[in-house]
Amino acid sequence: MKPRLWIAAFLLLAFASVSGCRKHPETAPANSLLSAYDSEPDWTDSTKIIPLGYEQAQGKRIFYQHCVWCHADATPAGPSNRSNLTPNPPLLNDGATLNAASDEYMQNIITLGGSALGKSAMMPPYGRMLSAEEIRSVIAFTRAIAQPPYQALGRPGSQYTAK
Amino acid sequence: MPAEEMGKVTDRTRFAFAVSSLIFLAVLAISPFKDYRREWKQYKRSYLRFAQSRPDTKRLTADYSLSIDQIWLPGMNVVDRCTTCHQGITQATLADKSVPQPFRAHAAIPHNVREWGCTVCHRGQGPATEVAEAHESTLAWEQPVLPTHFIQASCGTCHQADLPQTPQLTRGRQLLAELNCQGCHKLPGIERPAMRGPDLSSVGTKVSREWIYKWLKEPRTIVDKDGNVTVNGYETEEEPRMPKFRLTDDELRALSAYLSAQKAKPIPPYKISPAVVAAWSKNPELTSQGELRFRQMFCSTCHSLAVTRAGETKLIGGDIGPELTKVGSKVNPDWLIAWLRDPEGYLPRTRMPRYGWSDEDLYKVTQYIATKLVDFDLLTSVPKLDPPTDAEIQLGRRLFLEKGCASCHSIEGISPQKDFGPDLSALGGKNASELEFGSAKIPHNLVSYIQAKLEDPVSVNPAARMPQYNWNQADLDEVMTALLSLKGAPPTSALQNLVVPKSEATFRPTGSFAEVYERYKCYTCHKFNGYGGELAPDLSYEGSRAQRQWLVEFLKSPQTLRPTLILRMPQLNMSDKDAATLADYLSMVMQHPSVNPAAVEAKQFTAAMAALGKQLYEVKYQCQSCHTIGGTGGYVGPNLNNAGGWLTPAWIEAWLKNPQALVPDTIEPRRNFTEDEVKALTAYLLTLRAGIKPQKTASLHDTRISALGAGR
Repeated sequence: MKPRLWIAAFLLLAFASVSGCRKHPETAPANSLLSAYDSEPDWTDSTKIIPLGYEQAQGKRIFYQHCVWCHADATPAGPSNRSNLTPNPPLLNDGATLNAASDEYMQNIITLGGSALGKSAMMPPYGRMLSAEEIRSVIAFTRAIAQPPYQALGRPGSQYTAK
Repeated sequence: MPAEEMGKVTDRTRFAFAVSSLIFLAVLAISPFKDYRREWKQYKRSYLRFAQSRPDTKRLTADYSLSIDQIWLPGMNVVDRCTTCHQGITQATLADKSVPQPFRAHAAIPHNVREWGCTVCHRGQGPATEVAEAHESTLAWEQPVLPTHFIQASCGTCHQADLPQTPQLTRGRQLLAELNCQGCHKLPGIERPAMRGPDLSSVGTKVSREWIYKWLKEPRTIVDKDGNVTVNGYETEEEPRMPKFRLTDDELRALSAYLSAQKAKPIPPYKISPAVVAAWSKNPELTSQGELRFRQMFCSTCHSLAVTRAGETKLIGGDIGPELTKVGSKVNPDWLIAWLRDPEGYLPRTRMPRYGWSDEDLYKVTQYIATKLVDFDLLTSVPKLDPPTDAEIQLGRRLFLEKGCASCHSIEGISPQKDFGPDLSALGGKNASELEFGSAKIPHNLVSYIQAKLEDPVSVNPAARMPQYNWNQADLDEVMTALLSLKGAPPTSALQNLVVPKSEATFRPTGSFAEVYERYKCYTCHKFNGYGGELAPDLSYEGSRAQRQWLVEFLKSPQTLRPTLILRMPQLNMSDKDAATLADYLSMVMQHPSVNPAAVEAKQFTAAMAALGKQLYEVKYQCQSCHTIGGTGGYVGPNLNNAGGWLTPAWIEAWLKNPQALVPDTIEPRRNFTEDEVKALTAYLLTLRAGIKPQKTASLHDTRISALGAGR
């Protein structure tokens, strides 16, 4: 057998083995709404849609059942109760006010009500009707729709990427 | 061969051996190299590096080994190797969005991944060890991962009962029922509505052949290029149920001929008293008075009308009955009078209540409808139609069956074809290879297939009999979710045992109550022990909640208790006897097991207690943030001006202690009142009394659709 044939055979084998290592084609970046459990239009710009994960979507559901009446300007049943109240409750997407509140503070004021934290007694306590988990989900929803957007305090996004 | 030449040959042989050994070595090395470079091993090592960058490395790597991880649940057909790469799936500290995939933790859902695996909900290929094979469909494996947007379909595969966590699925199931998809398709678990398309046995007495022609050609819904739905040219958010069939002129002529000949029951003759006609026919106030009565009777609770507000015309009102803006140009005036007097005489099982009419009201309202709710141009686009010929009627009858009309509309003597459309009971689990894509230029997967079929049935199959529906994106997604949840009978008995069946709610009253209940169709809006509509309060515990006398007064003259809720109880013009029958039954039968209205004596409450209660109401608990007393307070809860004349003391006490125990989904916050505070607040509320005021006129401009859209 001639060396050329050997080399050809070697190359063939090498090619065959390398081709087995081919990269799989990268999948196109998925539509962010297709990979979201639910979504909510941005309250300040209805052309923008905010994707929501499972927890945030549960928060949205609870918000539209219990909180929307006083913490939004439009409610499913028409006029909002917000303008009736003094002081005006913050809108749920009011990042300028709510981004400064820690998760613990939010959890406390929802659980115990306004008067327990020296705020308006008009904010009722929800600790006896919503579970801690449900309250956490409402906070997660608040964070998701905040304008300006919410940045978790002291927890910058990881620079690490997979692979 | 000479001996001296042996050496040369040996050298060549040695060289050949050396080269081939090297090649073999190299080839042998390829295998461990490829093994080392396997995709999942790269993710494994990557996770290790990632875990080392986190503060809780030890906990994150406790289960780590460089091998394939697998969740094996034989009973459920689960062999899921997803956790090989998705290694942080159960690590609570990796829930944050900043954690790169595939290491992020799963959201805290009610099911544990170790007990359920992944593919039960997400689909895809559990045993695969390569990213593409696990997530996408390949030639060998056909189930791609279900997009998260439709993931609620997976909940619905086992949970046939509706879940609060899956609104998209619940709404999709409702839409399938509302649009009567099960008229043509087999859809297990989707209930047939009591009323499908209207019965057409006597439709020829109601509308003209021209109107039928126009309706069939262009059911009043039109979607413009921006996707806005209009009905009769007015914008609306509701989706009328009649879809568009693609009919030729000949077919339209034949069907309109056949339908206009349907006159099974003649219109019962009724003559409005000539004295009433004489008194009103020349009165310039006639139509405005008719409009006033139309509003006072709260027809708009169920029917919508086009209303122009700030230059913009929109349909406002309920969607239980049809929209009425142009109804005066649609129906025969004699039919209208007969219909209003006795709806069930024309349409069995209708949801329209039988109002109590005086001749005067009947004359005013029908004159208002016939002269104001009209459009003289309605039928101008219809070609001239001669009296129907027998040939047209025969063809129309055949088309009525062939086009599937009989699946939704009944006509005496016509029975619908069985299994008219394809069986969809296992559609949601189909592989792409089982679907017929035709020439449609869409990705070959189930989700795209269902979407294309719904959006434009003929795009997939030019011969499709399915009519054209108009969907907005949300409705489309909801219906797709419901269809994707239908995966047929579970393949294993373990999965069969997981099915959470739907509980059937029925309410079958008897006796004189049943008669009145059926006459006024109370269940169209109210729920009774889980059965009925959702527009108005649940009356299952009304007997524990409301005082009997209040019930009688309310039924005679309904008021709204909620300042923001303008959609109201119709003024049914009930007789005293009917009101008493309803109030008696509600008070005696519709009671909460733990609230006996007779158990709490009203006499025990003193003025001092009431004074303390007022203090608690106004200062400590600030109930006025949601409730109105007098002219001030909030809009969220019912107004309490007449709490003492409305509620029973036993109900108030039980409600204050634990509202959710009485009405599980009420939004009244559950407070931590002491026993004394409960007594004081009850005493205060019982002092609040106000007579029921005469009916105020509802303005159509204020009419709103109530909480139907909550959360959407």
